[in-house]
Amino acid sequence: MSHARPVIDAMKPTKPGATRTAPPRAPDGFPSRGNYRGYLAFGFGGFFLFTLSLLVLRSVWAIGTGEAAWNRLQAGFQNPLYVIYHAIAFLWLSWFILRLFRLFPATQPKRFGPFQRPPDAVMVAGLSGAFVVVTLALATILWGAV
Amino acid sequence: MVDVVRHDVVIVGGGCAGLRAAIAAVEADPTLSVALVSKVYPMRSHTVSAEGGAAAVPPGAKDDSLEKHAFDTVKGSDFLADQDVIQYFVEEAPKELTRLEHWGCPWSRNADGSVATRPFGGMQTPRTWYATDKVGFHMLHTLFQHSLRFDRIVRYDEHFVSKLLIDGGQCRGVAALDVRTGQVRAVLGRAVILSTGGAGRVWPFTTNGSIKTGDGMALAYREGVPLEDMEFVQYHPTGLPGTGILITEAARGEGGYLLNSEGERFLTTRDYGVGTKAELGPRDMISRAVIQEIEAGRGITLPGKIGQYVHLDLRHLGKAKLESRLPFVLELSRTYAGVDPVTQPIPIRPVLHYTMGGVATNIDGATALPGLYAAGETACVSLNGANRLGSNSLTECLVFGARSGQHAVRFAKGSSAGSESALLEQAKGEGARLDGIRGRKRGGETLAGVRQGMNEAMEAGTGVYRVQASMQQTVSDVAALKQRFEQVSLSDASQVFNTELTAALELRNLLDVAEAVALAAVSRKESRGAHACRDFPKRNDPEYLHHSLVHFGETGPRFSTKPVTLGTWVPEERKY
Amino acid sequence: MADKQKKTIVVTRFDPDKDEAPRQQRYEIPVEPDWKVLDALNYIKDHVDGTLSHRWSCRMAVCGSCGMNVDGTPKLTCKDALADYGDSVEVTPLANFPVVRDLVVDIEGFMERLQKVKPFILRAKELAVEDGPTRQSPVELDDFRQFSMCINCMLCYAACPVTTNEPDFLGPAAIALGHRYNLDTRDQGQAERNQVFREDGGVFACSYAGECSEVCPKHVDPSGAIQQAKMANVIDWVTGLVLRRGDAG
Repeated sequence: MSHARPVIDAMKPTKPGATRTAPPRAPDGFPSRGNYRGYLAFGFGGFFLFTLSLLVLRSVWAIGTGEAAWNRLQAGFQNPLYVIYHAIAFLWLSWFILRLFRLFPATQPKRFGPFQRPPDAVMVAGLSGAFVVVTLALATILWGAV
Repeated sequence: MVDVVRHDVVIVGGGCAGLRAAIAAVEADPTLSVALVSKVYPMRSHTVSAEGGAAAVPPGAKDDSLEKHAFDTVKGSDFLADQDVIQYFVEEAPKELTRLEHWGCPWSRNADGSVATRPFGGMQTPRTWYATDKVGFHMLHTLFQHSLRFDRIVRYDEHFVSKLLIDGGQCRGVAALDVRTGQVRAVLGRAVILSTGGAGRVWPFTTNGSIKTGDGMALAYREGVPLEDMEFVQYHPTGLPGTGILITEAARGEGGYLLNSEGERFLTTRDYGVGTKAELGPRDMISRAVIQEIEAGRGITLPGKIGQYVHLDLRHLGKAKLESRLPFVLELSRTYAGVDPVTQPIPIRPVLHYTMGGVATNIDGATALPGLYAAGETACVSLNGANRLGSNSLTECLVFGARSGQHAVRFAKGSSAGSESALLEQAKGEGARLDGIRGRKRGGETLAGVRQGMNEAMEAGTGVYRVQASMQQTVSDVAALKQRFEQVSLSDASQVFNTELTAALELRNLLDVAEAVALAAVSRKESRGAHACRDFPKRNDPEYLHHSLVHFGETGPRFSTKPVTLGTWVPEERKY
Repeated sequence: MADKQKKTIVVTRFDPDKDEAPRQQRYEIPVEPDWKVLDALNYIKDHVDGTLSHRWSCRMAVCGSCGMNVDGTPKLTCKDALADYGDSVEVTPLANFPVVRDLVVDIEGFMERLQKVKPFILRAKELAVEDGPTRQSPVELDDFRQFSMCINCMLCYAACPVTTNEPDFLGPAAIALGHRYNLDTRDQGQAERNQVFREDGGVFACSYAGECSEVCPKHVDPSGAIQQAKMANVIDWVTGLVLRRGDAG
């Protein structure tokens, strides 16, 4: 629990202090404790955001090239690795979005003029509910179209 | 090896008075440079713990007046305060609190947006401005954050001033131990202001934090500046068991009751001189009432706790009012006394809280040593006389912090810098002296042992009620303790952040203050304000309407007196 | 007389003149049932080992001096009950800060961050004392009051994973304090402060760990302040593209 790895620069003053200091230590419990896990998973999502962006670009390029290229792209997506990747990406993205919704009320000021901000639970339930409904609707449409 | 820094005004202590003095100094002359030297970072100054409020006649108040505030303060002081000081104080008070509001202090508000006030002890009309029940915290942080605007205020944080530097009969700087490095820094200036707070740590049961060790008082005292009215120390009626943590007077201001073991609201059923004010009488009278109830066998015993208590009952105020007006009281009672004020009464007893006495100054904050000023709890200007009214002291820090800042600037501009080499020699000498204290091996005494002996002696002789015989004993006990202190052996010889060294310096300061308190107490053969002497239970104006002065002496302290500046009000019987 | 209960306090020791790196020292001491962790440290200093250095003052959780990591969690040692721990409890200096000596950390980095957010009332035209106090409704006061409760104890910095890895991050307390002034009706300096908030290491460096608000002993909710500051800055930036804005200067 203790003796976490020392880090070099945390809270280092711009002017060196007049005596030698021991380097700061990272917070105990990092990275396995509750909130730190969420922090890492959130940050790690950069991987999915980056790769999904590349896929979107690839798809757009394929559309621009013509129907043959698009069909080749669709065939490529049948690869089991792609399916697994997309499944994980979908789960991660859903977690990411729902977590953002859970954090959303904290971004709002306590009141808007004479109106108090709605209860946090109401905002979170509303946003999350809308997300679930829209996701299901899109999935149904896409499934039907396929 | 001594480092030198040069400024114009040097302020020792970074609490309400010190910060206000620094701001006043740079505003008075923006070309000057002000050093703010504090043994702790300013946010840690004990101002931070004040809870109830700060008093001033609210601008535009219809049923209040400067005259009423002045009279309440004069009467509260048992007619020992200087009335010219009080006159100036009540005039400046509303301006100072207004300034603080402009600087961002989050005063609690009425529905119409004006600053709210609450009733407080000894005040005939509510005039205590408040910030829920954390006024000291909010005022200190407002002042400190406002001070960050001025780059002419240069801070020396965690620097312990252990000696004043004097040349040509004038104070021209301080020798400050840089606690981090262990080196002494000579902080030179043409005027010095002491604003280091009071000395509650002389006593064993106190609301005061560890840093309240009378440093400024001792620094001045050892250079021949007299300490004034040291016998008057305030026991705040409501301190929590064991820790002595303060439960604010505002709890009574919002309607709380004091009950004895029989559930009786004794301030209304028995005559303790507070009349219809009951729980809102002045602090000295309430504390005496509580002690008398305990001595009469109507105190409450708590398992595992020494001494007896009475109850502060807030249950009838209701959860909503408690949560909005006294949230800190709820938190403190739950965390430190294991009691929930919403459903249970809080056990409390009188606790040492404030030193009315201090470094003798005139109305400008100037002491007998040219170039040396003092303000706030460190000083005795005298605003509070024999007993302070609650919520006057925070305002006092602002009013006289500002005034001494302005006057220190005036003095500095008309003064020369003195001989730097002579000042440096003194600082070097101080550095060598401190080197000799670090880890020193003397006799078998310990800091904790001598400190405990001092606490016990001072509790015995200078409690809420005093007796000549025990005061005499305390005088000789303190003298013996000063000898024992010379035999204290220390274990920490390190340079970097040596807090055993600073504890030793603090204990030396505490013993010097204790010596002055004991001598002043035994010399006042009357009862007045907070000095309740059982051998002389009445006030004796013909012989004792004077301020006491204690002067340091190599062979022991010397006592003298100083007249009180009277004014509009002639001393009368103090009954509420 | 019953024997007093004993506990082992394991404390970090470090004297830069003697020690290459921090080491641990164990003290077995008698304890009282109502002690806080700070009482144990003071007992050690007074009766066992006078060389132990630690900061403390008010012992009522308002001065912010006594923050340390206790069994891995940043705590105010004057508020933390010793009885909550087992027979052995480990006290280490606040995480994420350089260590000066024993349990004392260097807080100059924090003081610099405080200064950076301009934590004072900024106005185009200063108010005059003669005009008396300004009016501020209880609702307006309530908007920022929570964020003004910070005692500068820095437990939030000790818990923040961004502080660990990003040297420039302003951090929870500094941002909460800046946001407190942004919300105060008397202040006109939002534009100036938001520029600081938008710099590298500003509010957008935070990535929602939320541990700061978990450890805050005064319920300031600095994480909430940072998220509000982010939203306010986004809106501020967008409107700034469209509208000309008068700064407080």
